[in-house]
Amino acid sequence: MKMSTANKIGKFLQYFVLIAVGIIMIYPLIWMIGATFKNNAEVFSGIGFIPMHPTLEGYKAAVTQNYGGNINIWRAFINTYSYVIPKVIFTVISSVVAAYGFSRFKFKGRDLMFSIMISTLFLPQVVLNVPQYLMYNTFGWINSPLYLPLWVPTLFGTETYFVYQLVQFMRSIPKDLDEAAAIDGCGPFKILYKIICPMLSPSLVAVALFQFMWSCNDFMGPLLYVQTPSKYPMAIFVKLSMDADAGFSWNRILALSLISIIPQLIVFFCAQDSFIDGIAAGAVKG
Amino acid sequence: MKKQIALALAAAMSVGMLAGCGGGAASSTAGAASEAASTGSSGGSGSLTISWWGGDSRHAAYQEAIKAFTEETGVTVEPSYGAWSGWEEAKSTALAAGQGEDVMQVNWNWLYQYSGEGQSFADLNEFADIIDLSQFPQSALDACTVAGELQAIPVAMTGRTFYWNMNTYKAAGIETAPASYEDLIAAGKAFQEKLGDEYYPLCVGPYDRMIMMTFWLESNYGKAWVENKTCNYTVEEITEGMNFIKSLEDNHVIPTMENYYGAGFDSIDKSTQWIDGQYAGIFEWDSSANKYNDALADNSGFTVGEEIKWGDKANGGFAKVSMGLAITETCKDKESAAKLINFLLNEEKGASIMGTECGMVSSAAGQAAAEAAGKVKPLVKQANDIVMGFVDFQLDPDYESSKLKGSDGIYTDAFDGFSYGDYTAEEAAEILLDGVNGVLASA
Repeated sequence: MKMSTANKIGKFLQYFVLIAVGIIMIYPLIWMIGATFKNNAEVFSGIGFIPMHPTLEGYKAAVTQNYGGNINIWRAFINTYSYVIPKVIFTVISSVVAAYGFSRFKFKGRDLMFSIMISTLFLPQVVLNVPQYLMYNTFGWINSPLYLPLWVPTLFGTETYFVYQLVQFMRSIPKDLDEAAAIDGCGPFKILYKIICPMLSPSLVAVALFQFMWSCNDFMGPLLYVQTPSKYPMAIFVKLSMDADAGFSWNRILALSLISIIPQLIVFFCAQDSFIDGIAAGAVKG
Repeated sequence: MKKQIALALAAAMSVGMLAGCGGGAASSTAGAASEAASTGSSGGSGSLTISWWGGDSRHAAYQEAIKAFTEETGVTVEPSYGAWSGWEEAKSTALAAGQGEDVMQVNWNWLYQYSGEGQSFADLNEFADIIDLSQFPQSALDACTVAGELQAIPVAMTGRTFYWNMNTYKAAGIETAPASYEDLIAAGKAFQEKLGDEYYPLCVGPYDRMIMMTFWLESNYGKAWVENKTCNYTVEEITEGMNFIKSLEDNHVIPTMENYYGAGFDSIDKSTQWIDGQYAGIFEWDSSANKYNDALADNSGFTVGEEIKWGDKANGGFAKVSMGLAITETCKDKESAAKLINFLLNEEKGASIMGTECGMVSSAAGQAAAEAAGKVKPLVKQANDIVMGFVDFQLDPDYESSKLKGSDGIYTDAFDGFSYGDYTAEEAAEILLDGVNGVLASA
């Protein structure tokens, strides 16, 4: 009897703390949803999320604003995914191939090349902006209608972070499996495709998800390489009206941001199970 | 395991399908774009590109104006626009690669920063027969003359003035807006006694303090803050300026920096203290009159204040070119570009569409056209008239260097440290002068 009371109190405390922390963590998001229905004065006047004078103006403006027919929210969505999706696919493919090379083959200069690759991990994007811009300029890719500067580089395993992550995962897959497959007549690519990739799938989902979220949120890349307003992606579209000098309606910006993260949320929840596996797998296998 | 593979495959398939759609959409819009480009050039009347930053209403005004320009001249204009954040990084990169748009809306300091030798922007004096330069005040043109070339046309001039929330003043028993130092001190006392400690007649952040102190010094000593790359003031003089700010704090005219940061707002217009009237005054750019007016929960008492003359040697204070229009050196059809600038700023049709979207236009003809069209925001006009009629110094181009003005810059360090009591007035003045001299020497 005593035990069970103590248990109950323990459980209560556990859940109490978890729920309290959970609410604190999710509150900004809830506040943001509430704020989409507030006017400017109310947005800054308190931390309560229930609007006193609810208005739908924010949502109305968010879906109707079209900048003289140049661009609207739906166009911005299409624009975003027309380069994000190729980017995700090519990142996964090229990173797997690069990681496969580094983890399974011994070739001259491998260790040196690996350390060079890792060192680029610490290179901030901002120092690359100007040289990259000059390079793409000589290719004639600036303002390319196909967004070439944004996704072509991912074909070449340039996403160091993902290559490194996949190399670590691959090291944990026993080589015996490769050898068994080789005896059964598999070539190197078939081993990668038939044996390693299925084992790696949680980690591949993690790579795809991260790249998807980062690319959707990337602001500076499109700002540098996309100049035609009708080609603007969501990240730029959301910010178009944010003028500090003249002021703007926060409810519209927040409504727009909320709508723009919905696809990301859906993708995340769909892939959640595999994604959590992917992160946890590394922890055990080390 | 099987489930995971199935999920990954399903994801890959759906991604593939979406990619198909995306690719299709991209190529079809690409087709449309190239079509538009070819029809533009087939007209034989040339085409231009233009870029600007701003908010919704400015985007709309520019778009309408360039449409009118195309109708009048047959020259097509392709715009590129966005918000301010990140804009300078993107455009400076483009300028470095010679990829700037033909006509660019530029910030005043860009002329010094990205075209110090005249390498990025064309000399507009060569197009004086197209652009009517006589409409612009000579001081504004001089400010845009860098390396001996007129690198941009000054779109608008701006300066700082006071805005008051008279509702709070009246609640404190004061009927007229403060017009002198003594009025402010009296208001501080009245606010504290009648309304309470959290009410202040004026609220200023670190950069506002710097500008206010500069106004005070210029007015009391009658000399510009910086001239020919040297600061005209000594540590002793700046110390006096610092003590002036301190006296405002001590007399409950402005909140201390501790109080200011403790309120936890991002900018004054987003603070509950301004929205609800506890801060009853600000010292801000004339162009942001509407922003502060609109932010108030009850704006019936919002008043554009007169400038305060702090000393007897001069009025003090400065105006600056808030932005300009420049033609890049890489522009192929500079004459059409010059026509576009003249259309936007001087000609009745263009200027009446643009109104005061880029600030209070400095072109006399443009201003008249905008006023005739009713496109001048009355508050902005009122504030601008007050500022322009009062100030008698020009702004130094390095005054707003990010090393000084930034949130971890010299101004913030000096004024925060002084207000928190970490520095004495002399120490703060020394830090300020050393910082300013450092920036002037490196620039």
